[in-house]
Amino acid sequence: MKKRVPRSNLEKREQRLALKLLLPAFVVLALVAIYPLGDVLFTSFTDREFAGGEEVKTNFIGFENYANLLGITIVELPPVLDENENQVINEKTGEPEFERAVKVLPRDPHRYKELFQYNWFGKRYVVGARDPVFLKSVGNTLIFSLFSVFIETILGIFIALVVNSNFKGRGALRTTMLVPWAVITVVSARIWEYMLNPGTSGFFNMVLFRLGISDGQISFLTDPSWQMPSMIMVDVWKTTPFMALLILAGLQLIPKDLYEAAQVDGASGIKRFFRITLPLLKPTIAVALVFRTLDALRVFDVFQVLLGKKMYSMASYNYTQLINYRQMGYSSAVGIIIFIFIAIFAVIYIRMMGVDSK
Amino acid sequence: MNKRSKKVISKTVFYIIIVVIFVYMLFPFYWALNSSFKSENQLMQTPATFIPRDTDGNVSFYFENYKAIFRNNTFVISILNSTLVAGLTTIIALLIGSFAAFALGKLRFKGKKITLYLILAMTMFPQVTVLSGLYAMITTLGLSARPSMIITYLIFTLPFTTWVLTSFFKELPVEIMQSAQVDGATPFQTFYMILLPLTAPALVTTGLLSFIAAWNEYLFALTFTSVEPAARTIPVAIALFSGQIARQEPFGEIMAAAITVTIPVVVLVLIFQRKIVAGLTAGAVKG
Repeated sequence: MKKRVPRSNLEKREQRLALKLLLPAFVVLALVAIYPLGDVLFTSFTDREFAGGEEVKTNFIGFENYANLLGITIVELPPVLDENENQVINEKTGEPEFERAVKVLPRDPHRYKELFQYNWFGKRYVVGARDPVFLKSVGNTLIFSLFSVFIETILGIFIALVVNSNFKGRGALRTTMLVPWAVITVVSARIWEYMLNPGTSGFFNMVLFRLGISDGQISFLTDPSWQMPSMIMVDVWKTTPFMALLILAGLQLIPKDLYEAAQVDGASGIKRFFRITLPLLKPTIAVALVFRTLDALRVFDVFQVLLGKKMYSMASYNYTQLINYRQMGYSSAVGIIIFIFIAIFAVIYIRMMGVDSK
Repeated sequence: MNKRSKKVISKTVFYIIIVVIFVYMLFPFYWALNSSFKSENQLMQTPATFIPRDTDGNVSFYFENYKAIFRNNTFVISILNSTLVAGLTTIIALLIGSFAAFALGKLRFKGKKITLYLILAMTMFPQVTVLSGLYAMITTLGLSARPSMIITYLIFTLPFTTWVLTSFFKELPVEIMQSAQVDGATPFQTFYMILLPLTAPALVTTGLLSFIAAWNEYLFALTFTSVEPAARTIPVAIALFSGQIARQEPFGEIMAAAITVTIPVVVLVLIFQRKIVAGLTAGAVKG
């Protein structure tokens, strides 16, 4: 047997110290993450229900919860034919008509509901899912995360750069920057709900009405085309400070002499930003991005408070299944799927960013 | 255009940008402040007004919302609870996190990547996912509500402090450690006597953000304090006193409470922001 011999005494000591230093973190990890997660994993294979008075028998049902959540099927939609065997064309839209999806989607042993339709080589297909609401919540969460994190990063870098320069009132701005983050999420969601009120008692409708842009009756939270932009707007306001503060801290670690040298060399402001600031800021931005993205993928409070059951994020769907429908087994499976989903996402993302390099 | 007027223009643009940022960040907060001084009738008024006004257009402030929340004992106690819980969570997260971050950022050992991923994995699931599992853990250990919250809040504060501090430790020049070792310092001495003070800006920043995250947490607090109302934290207290009046949500009171609980955090930022001093490392390497 070959034994690994540490190259030096110092290295051996470092290894032992590292273990000692990491021990408390591991203990916490086991207590608040691994144990509860194991419990949830186990529950996800059962049909357990949340304490409903008398004891309900819990059965082990294998992967059925997962199959119900993820099960999809694709069926071709047959065209609607007239007596001459020609496809009927809708008079209003001018589009050819197809059978309704409900008619062709399988019902036994599991019922599939329409998720969306698409065309492929002149034929029309429908994608059916056993739980279209869950799959839609996955889509919603992805769109939400993509847009909000992107906007937050740009705004965050911009604000951090402004705050990092020298001007009067810099301290005040640095404090101001944190206000949105400091307002309790549940409460800030309420503030926005009030500002987004349909009718001119809401701030946005009042302003749009005064400016003559709209009739002041936009239902930001019930109109499907406004729901997602509203969510993104609320989240961007709430979490940009987080980005800005982290990037600011990173900015302050960049040695000043680098800029002085660049200035002597006659580099312009924009050039300095792209040649010095951005490369040196990359590790900070990467960490901030990882955390913000994972955070956005788990978004709960804003969706729960502002949209309730109108539109789900993955986490608010999980919550509804657990608390409102008391489906502990099913909601546990939702949680595990979210966990795996985010884990895969995180690994790819971190590799791409190179956060763990060196 | 001469150089001087160019300078004036760029300065004006700069200040306009600053004003825009100010307004953007503060406006919803201002709207909450404005609403907190409105009576129920004023809140429902259309179109909404920028300062509390009666229907006849006269400015009139309504103070009953603030009086009501301070008459509410649960709310006052909840401020103490939140301070205790968020404060202790932050201290523990910084302590454990900086230990782990030093090991991950500056020491050589096997399994570094796996460890980083493991710690990050803690933030990969929504809180609601582990809720039932955590509840089972707490019942098994027989913990009361406050320690339960402090321990479970580490699930989102510890990965954050560890990761951010690790990246800061990595950024610190190796020369600092080497020169300390040449001087005969043990790695741990290097850590707490030299590296830790150098990461002060990162410590303050991550500490502040952890504190706020814990201060704002709602779901765990709601669940764990359900059997121990005396331990309720601010978000729960606010959510519950909105439920006490069945007739209608006391929106003015919620806004008044929101303003009241945001002020301590703003004060905290004011106290600590001076610590975030520029160019600490640059000076250390030079000197």
